[in-house]
Amino acid sequence: MQWPEGWKDPGVLDLVKGTPIDYLLVPNGPEFDAVRSHAQQLGIEVGDPGRAPGGIEIVKGSWPGVQWPTNGAGAGPTGVPWVNSNGWLIRLNRALHPEIAQWVDGPPPAKSFIDADSYLIAIADSATHGGRWIVALDEPVAKGIAVREAKSLAVWKRLTATAAFFAVHKTWTDYSPVGVAGIVSDFTGDNEFFSHELLNLMGRAGLHYRILPKDRISATSFESLRAVSYTDATSPSPELRRQILQFVQAGGLLIAAPIWGEVAGSPASSPQPGYKVQAVGKGRVALADDVPTDPYSWAADTAVLVSHRYDLVRFWNSGASRSFYTMSPDRKQAVVHLLFYAERGPDSATVRVAGRYRAVRGSTVDAPKIEDLAIQPQGDGVEVRLPQVSQYVALELDV
Amino acid sequence: MLRNHTRRDWLCAAASAVSGAYLAGTRLASATEAPAGRVALARCKTYDPGEVTPALRKMFDQLGGLGKLVNGKTVAIKINLTGSPTYRLGYEPLENTHYTHPAVIAATVQLLGMAGARRIRVLESPWATADPVEEYLLQANIEPRDILGAARNVEFENTNYLGFAKKYSRLKVPSGGYVFPAFDLNHSYEDCDVFVSIAKMKEHATAGITLSMKNCFGITPCTVYGEGAGVDEPSILPKGGRDLIHAGNRGPSKSAPQEKDPKSPRQDTWRVPRTVVDLVGARPIHLAIIEGVKTMTGGEGPWVSPYQTAVEPGVMLAGLNPVNTDAVAMSVMGFDPMADRGTPPFEQCDSTLKLAEDVGLGTRDLKRIEVIGARIAEVRFDFATLRKRRGSMPERPLGMRG
Repeated sequence: MQWPEGWKDPGVLDLVKGTPIDYLLVPNGPEFDAVRSHAQQLGIEVGDPGRAPGGIEIVKGSWPGVQWPTNGAGAGPTGVPWVNSNGWLIRLNRALHPEIAQWVDGPPPAKSFIDADSYLIAIADSATHGGRWIVALDEPVAKGIAVREAKSLAVWKRLTATAAFFAVHKTWTDYSPVGVAGIVSDFTGDNEFFSHELLNLMGRAGLHYRILPKDRISATSFESLRAVSYTDATSPSPELRRQILQFVQAGGLLIAAPIWGEVAGSPASSPQPGYKVQAVGKGRVALADDVPTDPYSWAADTAVLVSHRYDLVRFWNSGASRSFYTMSPDRKQAVVHLLFYAERGPDSATVRVAGRYRAVRGSTVDAPKIEDLAIQPQGDGVEVRLPQVSQYVALELDV
Repeated sequence: MLRNHTRRDWLCAAASAVSGAYLAGTRLASATEAPAGRVALARCKTYDPGEVTPALRKMFDQLGGLGKLVNGKTVAIKINLTGSPTYRLGYEPLENTHYTHPAVIAATVQLLGMAGARRIRVLESPWATADPVEEYLLQANIEPRDILGAARNVEFENTNYLGFAKKYSRLKVPSGGYVFPAFDLNHSYEDCDVFVSIAKMKEHATAGITLSMKNCFGITPCTVYGEGAGVDEPSILPKGGRDLIHAGNRGPSKSAPQEKDPKSPRQDTWRVPRTVVDLVGARPIHLAIIEGVKTMTGGEGPWVSPYQTAVEPGVMLAGLNPVNTDAVAMSVMGFDPMADRGTPPFEQCDSTLKLAEDVGLGTRDLKRIEVIGARIAEVRFDFATLRKRRGSMPERPLGMRG
C-alpha cells in the first residue's frame, strides 16, 4: 500500500492490521518514523516509495476503469467504451519474467469520481491477471479514513474485503491463460509499441490470447490455439518459421505482416479485406497486404479472421467489460474472471463461456459462493445469466 | 415480363409499375389510387421450423406462389439486426425481441431456393462495422450456417459499406423523393432481380412503427450516410449511426446525391419517415415479410426505454406490396393504419404509410386490401393498448440512431 502523505498518526495502522495489506510504501521523512516503527511491531513490512522489495517489480500502470472522452464525443449506448486495464501489462511481464511478481502502480487520478467499487475494480483488474495493485487512496478518502469518517471507512472496508477475497483465492494466479490466438513477438525495441498496444486492444476486441515471447517457443506453445499473430518488424528465425508453419500445417491459422514473405499454398477466400489467404496443409496463412501500423485494426481483423465462432466468452448487457479465461494446472477447473469497469455492475447481463462443463458456480466479493446461477447449456458452451452483481464475478467451471 | 431487361431497367420498371404517379414526380396518388393487393396472415406460435416453414409456405402460396417471382432470379433479402449484437432486452436472445429471427430467415431462404431462386443474398448493414454479417450474427449467438445451408448459393453481404463492389450503385427515387432524389447504396441492392424485406413487428421511437418499409432505412451505408461518412467521398469503413439522416446536421458524402431542400425541417420525426419512403421508392420491395412470432413492445430495441417488454404475438404476415403489408401489420398491432401525425403510433411523427401512399407506393386502406389466411381480429396482439397503459410513446433516445 502507498501510505498516504497525510497519515502521520500510527494509530491508523489499526485499520491495516489483519487485512491482506502486508507491505507499506511509506514516504521518507522523520514525521513517518512512528508509522514505520509501529508497522514493524505489527509485522507489516515497510519500504520506500517506488522501491520494490526483492523478487518484485513495480510496473507503471493506469487507473483501471472507463476512460471518458475529454472532447465531448463518445460512444453511443451500444458502442464500446474505452477501458483502461492493466491486465495485459501484468500478463506480459509475467510471460517475460515469470520469476518476478508484479505490483502495479496506478493511483486514482485527482479530481475524479471514485467510490468503493472503483477500488474493487482496481484491485480485481490486477489480481485476476496475477498481479497486485498497490493500494493508493484518493485524497478525500484518505482524509476521511484518518478522521474515521463513516463514508470513507465504508470505502476502506470494501477495499480490504476485495483484497481479502483475492488473498483467499491466491491459487488462481497459478492457473494458465486460455486463448484462441497466440501473439508471437519479442515485445521490445521496434516492436514494443505495436505488440504492447496489440495486447491491450485484443481485450477490447474480445479476443482471448496467449503471450508467446519469441525466444521461448516450444513444442507446446501453440497447443489449443486456433491462430498465431506475427507482426514483428523483422523476419522470424528459420526455427521459429518452421515451428509456426508446422502449426499451420496441422490446421492453425497464421496472421502475419508482409515481412513474413510469400507462402506456398493454394489461394483461399478471405473474410476480411486487406489480407491474402493461402491454404497450407490443413491450415491457412493470412498475409496482410500492407505493413501493419494500427494495432486496433490488427486486433479487430484478427478477431474476424479467427472468427467469433470461436469466442471463448461472449457478453450481453455487460457494458464496459473484459474477461480472462484461465485453467487450473490439473485442467479440472476453469476460472473465468468477469470484470465490469463501469461505475456499477451490470443489470441482466448474460455471459456465454465456451467449453463443456458439468457445474458452474459464481463468486463475488459480496457473495463468495453463488450456487444457483441460471445456466443454459449450449452445445460446446454454457450460457450463464448473471444476477445483479458488482463489478467483478469469478465463474468457477468444473470440467 | 421480367426477361430481357437489365437489372437497372427492371428496377425502374418495377418501381414505375406501382403507380404512374411517379412519372410526374409530385404527390399525385391518393389512397384510392395507390395499389392494393393481397396480404397473407398466419398464426405462428413458435420458431420451430416445423411450424415456421409451413406457415410461410402457405402464405407464399396464398400470394400466388414464389416460383413466378424468383425462379432463376437473384434474390436479395434485407433482414433486421438493429443495434449492437451484445445488447439484449433482459436475458432474452436478440432474435426473440428485436432481430429478425434466424428461423424465419432460414425458412424463407429454403422456400426461395425450392422455388428456383438462382442466388440468394442475405443483407444487412450492421451497427458501425464492416465485419462480415456472419461474424455479427455469431456475436449475437446466432448460427449463420443455419441460413447459409438452407438453400444453394446463399451468401451474406454487409451493406454498410462498399462491400465486394468497386463502386456504389446509384438508385433514383422515381417520384423525385421527399428528402433525397437518389441514393448511393451497396451494389447488392441493384444486383438483384427480386428484393425481399423481412422485418420484425415492432414499435419505433422515431417512426412510430418499424415494419417492412422502415426495415429498409438500414440499406443506407454509413460510409456515405453515417456520422463518420467522408465529407467528399465515402469513408472506407462505417462509423456510428445515421445521424445525418435523422438530424440533417450535415449532408451525405458529396459524391452522393444531396438533399433536395437543405431548408426542410431538421426533425427526425419528419425526416426519417420521408427518407424511408424515398428508399422504398428507389429500391422497391417485391416481397414484404413481417414476423411477430416473438418481439418486444415499446420500441425498436432494448435501448429505447426501461418500460419495454418481450411479447409473443405469434403472428407472421407476407405481401407483395409493402404498404399494404405494413397496413395490415399495423392493424394486427391494434393501430389504425389510416392514422396520421398526432394519433398513435404517430403521436410525434409522420406516418410512413401515409407518405408512401401519397406517392403511390400502395394503399394503407384496409377496405381495399384483401387479407387472406387468418383474420386480423383472430391474431390481433394489442400493442396499442399496451402503449396506452405505458402512458407514453417510446422515448427518442439520443445517441442510438440506427
